[in-house]
Amino acid sequence: MEDYFSYTAKLFDPAKIKEKPEVFKGLRVLDFTHVIYGPTAARILADYGAEVIKLELPFYGDLWRPATYWGRYWKHSNPIWHFVTQNKYFVSLDLKHPDAKDLIYKMAKEADIVLENFAPGTAEAWGVGYSSISKIKSDIIYLSCSTYGQFGPMRYFPGWDLLAQAASGVLSLNGFPDTERYYKLPDYLGDFVPGNLGAMSLCMALYYRNKTGKGQYIDLSQTDSMIRLLPHFTFKSVTGETLGRTGHNDPAMIAASMFKSRDGKILGVACATEKQFEGLCSAMGKEDLLRDKRFNDYFEALKEENAEALRAIVADWIKTKDCAEIVKLACEKGFAAAEVMNDPMVCEDEWRRERGSVILFNDEMYGEIALAGPSARLSKTPARTKWTARPLGYHNRLVLMKFLGLSERDMEALEEKHVIGSFDDRPGLKPPLYYHLDKDPIYNYGREVKR
Amino acid sequence: MSLFKKNKEKIYTRYSSGAANVSVWKETLDKLQNPEGKPGVLDDIMVLDASLANFSGIVAASFFAEFGAEVIKIEPAEGDPCRKMTPYGRNVNGVGIPFMMEGRNKRYMTLDIENSAEDRETFAALAEKAAVVIEAFPAGKMDSWGIGYRQLSEKNPGLIYIAITPYGQYTKKAQEFVNFPDADITIQTGSGLSAQIGDFKTEPEPYNWPLKAGMWMGWYVSGISAALGGTIALLYRQSTGEGQMIDIAGMDAYSSMVGFPATIGYTWDKPRPRIGVLDFILYPYSHWRCKDGLVAIAAPRDHDFRALLKILNRWDLEDDFKFTPDRIPDIIEQAMELHREIEKETMKYTADELTAKALGYALKAARSKWRGGGVPIVMGVMRPEQTMQNPQWAIRKSFKEVEDEKLGKYVVTSGFAKMTESPPQIKWVSCDIGKDNEYVKTKYL
Repeated sequence: MEDYFSYTAKLFDPAKIKEKPEVFKGLRVLDFTHVIYGPTAARILADYGAEVIKLELPFYGDLWRPATYWGRYWKHSNPIWHFVTQNKYFVSLDLKHPDAKDLIYKMAKEADIVLENFAPGTAEAWGVGYSSISKIKSDIIYLSCSTYGQFGPMRYFPGWDLLAQAASGVLSLNGFPDTERYYKLPDYLGDFVPGNLGAMSLCMALYYRNKTGKGQYIDLSQTDSMIRLLPHFTFKSVTGETLGRTGHNDPAMIAASMFKSRDGKILGVACATEKQFEGLCSAMGKEDLLRDKRFNDYFEALKEENAEALRAIVADWIKTKDCAEIVKLACEKGFAAAEVMNDPMVCEDEWRRERGSVILFNDEMYGEIALAGPSARLSKTPARTKWTARPLGYHNRLVLMKFLGLSERDMEALEEKHVIGSFDDRPGLKPPLYYHLDKDPIYNYGREVKR
Repeated sequence: MSLFKKNKEKIYTRYSSGAANVSVWKETLDKLQNPEGKPGVLDDIMVLDASLANFSGIVAASFFAEFGAEVIKIEPAEGDPCRKMTPYGRNVNGVGIPFMMEGRNKRYMTLDIENSAEDRETFAALAEKAAVVIEAFPAGKMDSWGIGYRQLSEKNPGLIYIAITPYGQYTKKAQEFVNFPDADITIQTGSGLSAQIGDFKTEPEPYNWPLKAGMWMGWYVSGISAALGGTIALLYRQSTGEGQMIDIAGMDAYSSMVGFPATIGYTWDKPRPRIGVLDFILYPYSHWRCKDGLVAIAAPRDHDFRALLKILNRWDLEDDFKFTPDRIPDIIEQAMELHREIEKETMKYTADELTAKALGYALKAARSKWRGGGVPIVMGVMRPEQTMQNPQWAIRKSFKEVEDEKLGKYVVTSGFAKMTESPPQIKWVSCDIGKDNEYVKTKYL
């Protein structure tokens, strides 16, 4: 039989992704969401082939368009926005304008999924909520994203990732015990985790619709999503005690903490099983620990004072070795150890480049940019990047004229009333300065262009 | 907590009031409130979770189980080592807390696929009936035992086979690191999370080190990725009958979910430093000490910031920090000065008082004819035990008290998504090794 790794190399070959089928080909999604949470749920569907039409406010655009790290733009765009909204159709349409409603209803008739993340009730008040859309398309799947949910006494409280982290208890868990040091989770995980769970809920609703013909309404709150991940509530109900901050330690696994190596690097180390602990002891040359009754039983070894004693022994050993030596030993002896990876290390990591976890994507408008690959590799229907973010209203003509059949005159009338409208001079909204938008056949759909 | 109790409902946002009278909306919301008795989406499929010593397999299996699939956990007689992974070793009859929490709607069967050829045959026979197999052995191990994707898919072409490892199923490194085990903390360090959480370089050791999230964020992120990938594959299977293999690498988990490390690593010439309580894009977007603990405040847009200064009575700060570029922490000292100035004011109030002030302002802003009213968004930083007491989550049934005959009564998180037709649900919990051996044999063999 063929060698396993040569078999899987063919099965998952990143070069073949383009030729493979897309699960969501033909699936139409209307995406009324903004910032990160809702857009992530929609983007995942787009990564697997759905036609996602993202609607933004004319002249203003998604709030996140200009929000880049330390205000640094890249080719007049927000570099991190490219990953968050890749593969979408960008239409600028003022949802709450009465003249926009007909267009939205027309699009809804052909849509399978609608997502919104306005304050609860807003979409309903504008006539683009589930109540209105389900009348036009009875089997629509409609996801409302919010911080606290569509019902309950806090539903109208405004919120963001940070507030979901605060309200769920997540924020109170990161930091050092007996200090005033608390830290929120980085990179808006309070948006990305619910965004992924939103995509999962939509997929479940699609599966259900395929079986029964029924659509449905989904209410997903960021706080509920973060609550789902915590064992702390169960811990409290079982032990009556609280599980607060644990600093660098993982109190649930053997010898699990972060350590500093001889060459000054910080790495995480852990043993998931007794066998892995044997591996660690053997690497340290301290097999006697396996007979120490503080450590020779899993639960005993996790008791606070025993765990502390064990971590001290491991820390002393790690101090005497370089990080790379420890990782090599971990690999040989079978315990877990990994160095802290920062941005350039992730971006330039050979393994990630080969695997397709970091993709050097060559975009028609922006040129080369590094984008993260999908977090799951599907052998037959893999996710892919087709294009990055686009300027505000870039696909207006394509979507409204080609798909909705509007005429040149209709377009002019809509523009005049500010129902549609494109970017202004702000970075994040406009195309790169060097880019010849007048020669772009998509932006100019229906007009003659010379390439 | 009076703030969160349901008395007369107030509407703090601009347009929401227009929806209060949409009767269909009310009916829809009523439908969301009772998940019990509704159908499970996946009630026609069976999932085998053969993962061992990798909690993300358990997490992935849980999502399928919550959506109604028959999930059978396969483990040797001594049980999955995940049963023992529990904070400070706290357990009930040998079962750890995280395992108890994820023991939702699952069946348990003992098979020693690692050591027994006979059990592998039984597993292969079960896999013929399965829609999904989850495993977390070293890459190629199942294949070498004759029960990998290659072999199982011959008899069951509709099989979705999810393999979870730190470095995946292909590439040179996957091969080189084949015996390298998975752990939450190594996902956090190795996939980019730790680098972005923690304090300034100038703080004393070890506070200036990269930090870890105080929960299994690594394992949950890769578990969610596995379940999401599996669900997408189930949709393809539903329309074509074809299965496929899904490769989850723990070291992808965080960096691929948030995407920032890859792109910033490319567009900027250096790593983002750790900036303690500050945020690298939004400001103010942080937490401060207050009279009774901590309070989180987000007021990053210029008009939100002005509103915050108004409710804190600190208009004097406006001149120096008027625009976003004045507040972003590229000059740390400047950003920290604003942080300290804000804290002087937050210390005068409790978290609830500050939340009430912000909501009061939002109420006014929502009715103002000017668009630039601004909303400072405020919430007390709750500890999990406070979250449990919040009536919002009782009404939303986000927690459920469950009872197991061996483990007694306990609380689990439940129903993360509210859905009108086919919501995720917890029907029962159990954790007994081999409890369903007979059930599974009778039903599937």
